[in-house]
Amino acid sequence: MSEAVVGQTDVRTGGVHGFLIVRIGWRNLWRNRRRTFLTTGGIAFAVFLVVSFMALQLGQYDVMEENATSLLTGHVQVQHAHYPEDSRFEETIEHASQVLETVRATPGVVAVAPRVEAFALTSVNERSFGAQVLGVDIAAEQQTVRFVRMLASGHTLQGPQEAVLGTVLAKNLGASLGDEVVVLGAGKEGGVAALVFTVVGLLETGMADLDRALLLAPLPEVQAGFGLDDEVHTLAIRVDDLHRSQQVVRRLRAALPATLTVRNWDQVLPELRQGIEVDKMGGRIMYGIIMALVVFSAINSFIMTVFERTREFGMLLAIGMRPGHIMGMIQWEALFVSLLGIAIGLALASGLTLWLMNVGIYLGEGMQEYARQFYMPDRMYPAFSWEAMTVAPLVMLVGTQIAALLPSLRIRRLKAADALRAEG
Amino acid sequence: MPLKLLAQLSTRNLFRHRRRNLMMLLAIVVAVAGVILTNALIRGMQYDMREAAVANLTGHIKVLAPGYLDDPNIEKSFRLAPDWQPDVPAGEVEGWAARIRIPAVIMSERETRGIQFVGVDPARENISFLGDVTLIGEGLKDAEDGRVLIGVELARQLETEVGRRLVIITQGLDGKNREAGFRIAGLYDAEGTALEKQFVFTGVGALQKMVNADVVTEVSVKLQDDALVTDDKLELDVKSRLASFFSTLDVMDWQELEPQAAAMFVYVDSAILIWFLVIMGALIFGLVNTLVTAVMERIREFGMLRAVGMKPSAVVMQVVLESTIIMLVGVSVGIVVGWLLCTAWLGDGIDLSRWSEGIEMAGMRSRLTPRLMGHDVILVTVLSLVFGVIAALYPAWRAVKLKPLEAIRR
Repeated sequence: MSEAVVGQTDVRTGGVHGFLIVRIGWRNLWRNRRRTFLTTGGIAFAVFLVVSFMALQLGQYDVMEENATSLLTGHVQVQHAHYPEDSRFEETIEHASQVLETVRATPGVVAVAPRVEAFALTSVNERSFGAQVLGVDIAAEQQTVRFVRMLASGHTLQGPQEAVLGTVLAKNLGASLGDEVVVLGAGKEGGVAALVFTVVGLLETGMADLDRALLLAPLPEVQAGFGLDDEVHTLAIRVDDLHRSQQVVRRLRAALPATLTVRNWDQVLPELRQGIEVDKMGGRIMYGIIMALVVFSAINSFIMTVFERTREFGMLLAIGMRPGHIMGMIQWEALFVSLLGIAIGLALASGLTLWLMNVGIYLGEGMQEYARQFYMPDRMYPAFSWEAMTVAPLVMLVGTQIAALLPSLRIRRLKAADALRAEG
Repeated sequence: MPLKLLAQLSTRNLFRHRRRNLMMLLAIVVAVAGVILTNALIRGMQYDMREAAVANLTGHIKVLAPGYLDDPNIEKSFRLAPDWQPDVPAGEVEGWAARIRIPAVIMSERETRGIQFVGVDPARENISFLGDVTLIGEGLKDAEDGRVLIGVELARQLETEVGRRLVIITQGLDGKNREAGFRIAGLYDAEGTALEKQFVFTGVGALQKMVNADVVTEVSVKLQDDALVTDDKLELDVKSRLASFFSTLDVMDWQELEPQAAAMFVYVDSAILIWFLVIMGALIFGLVNTLVTAVMERIREFGMLRAVGMKPSAVVMQVVLESTIIMLVGVSVGIVVGWLLCTAWLGDGIDLSRWSEGIEMAGMRSRLTPRLMGHDVILVTVLSLVFGVIAALYPAWRAVKLKPLEAIRR
């Protein structure tokens, strides 16, 4: 070991000496071009696949996160401390307009939508269905989330006594535009809430749960009808940068009383974060297998290189080269091979990614439905990211160095005389 | 030249460079074992999703009144003769159930929720998730049981418990609302909370009394899993027999009822093939590399063999055999290792409950068990051997390219 360490130190400090080793390493690559090309090709293949897949995979996450949070929930939510767990009607944010002002004034907050959330029986003529009644400030909602704009027909809330229904709910109730819908529910402190609205619009979000259950009505009327004062259940917040929403959460926590809870999107939609984590884990296993295989091939390639050149190494030893120098030379060869492979792989992957960023990948009809559940668009588009571009190249770089080191360890024990007599 | 001799030559050559070929073997083993394991996991996921979709009160085949799917209410119902049996040989059907399933509103003293109210014959529900749930309190006794069984999560939201009463409002056959009180017989604990929040069960006879009609809204048939695997036309066959019996009703299979799960089911098949091709692609660089080296160092030997009369085709055969033998050994060991990984290591499944909400959304279960399928193993074996031959083509061409004399002189 000590000998090898000394040898390598020489290479580093030896200036011209070290450069000579680098040059020999580079030239050696081209002595067996076929092998160099095959090893390089394997590395390029792995880098190309992993970088392209990762760009596609990671590209989806941002879209999913933005689509999911901008649909209904918002990036950040403020609620009564017990409301996320119990969802009890009386667990409201009191003095809502004051809290609203505080939230609006917080840096990073772009828009805030106050909501009253109540469950009620809705009826049109003889037919009744349960519905999720959302009392909303429509102007604030439009700045915060997308679902209020997804109208299938009619118009959005404009005046008092108007309601917008999910398309499926409307169909189940047999309601059409202009019909009167009666809302019956339990108000705060056990009172009966009874309200009448005119259906002015139908909402089609594509999310079955929403289309089947949602009824939007003006906030003040819902508050009054259900016996609430200046109270709401949820403040849905849009921040300026989704990646930094956690900072806004911290600021809000500092500014708001402890009776309220502030949750980031990944707490509001845990299934989304978990789905992403599971997906990432699956990806890691697959990338790991691909890269491990190519590293195995590289080890094999260097085993062949080192064994075929036993006589050459014997000669180098005989003319006074230290084993460390020879090992260093092989490490340089490995470095060049991996850099070449990485360059080719990255170039191909970038080309593919750029192309797919323009055209996208069509998922097919059935998969679209499935994708929509995860808030994914109908076409998948990859995205460039540092993570996607660097992980595979770094792993392959290190892997190839190790692949070269394993067989070349035996050079340390090589005796010049024996090596010269070895079979070529 | 006899094949046996060629095979002998190839095998001996492989043993000449043990270290190198062991390394190659190792790479093939890792590739094949990796493919076997990942395939089994993907298959496990695929079948979990189908099973969850089928167990979700869907069954493999369902009979519904026309229009029920668009507008599910008690008007979209039908009468079922009391002695009705599906006209399918026993052994192919695991079970069937007739139900009423209608939307309703449920109220406790404190809260109100929208639910699916399902009237069942508890003895028949071994075909749905209801057969697998853990119960707190009692289950329903029979089809006439007028108590309800609700999900643990729904009970939590309604702030109620076993023995308490709930009021349920739903629409009767005359279009008027019915309101009735029900005592809670028990709570069921299903996997995840989505089902628990959605379904409230009572006896189908009791629900018929409430809506004042002797009807059901669906008949769900579940086929034997083994019979489905051996006979891929079984589902279509049973479906068409049911359709001719219930000629005025809609007969649908799970693919039509759960299109997302069905799309995923089909998608997985091509995903598995693509994944295998990717792995083989990564492997083939190393394989060609090894074979070409093995050929180049023996180029004089090949020249000599040619000079003493070995036909070029025999040389090619020898290289192809070498590749095939190493592939065959690698694939065999790889399959055994993959099988051991699937059974001994992950036989109990992978616990995914940390991500329960995420995988519930994906329609999976919280324990992912690898599912090793015979035809996947065959596919991997056959395609690996094909790849072995393809990888040998270039090295073999190198071996016969040189003229015998030139080769000897090298």
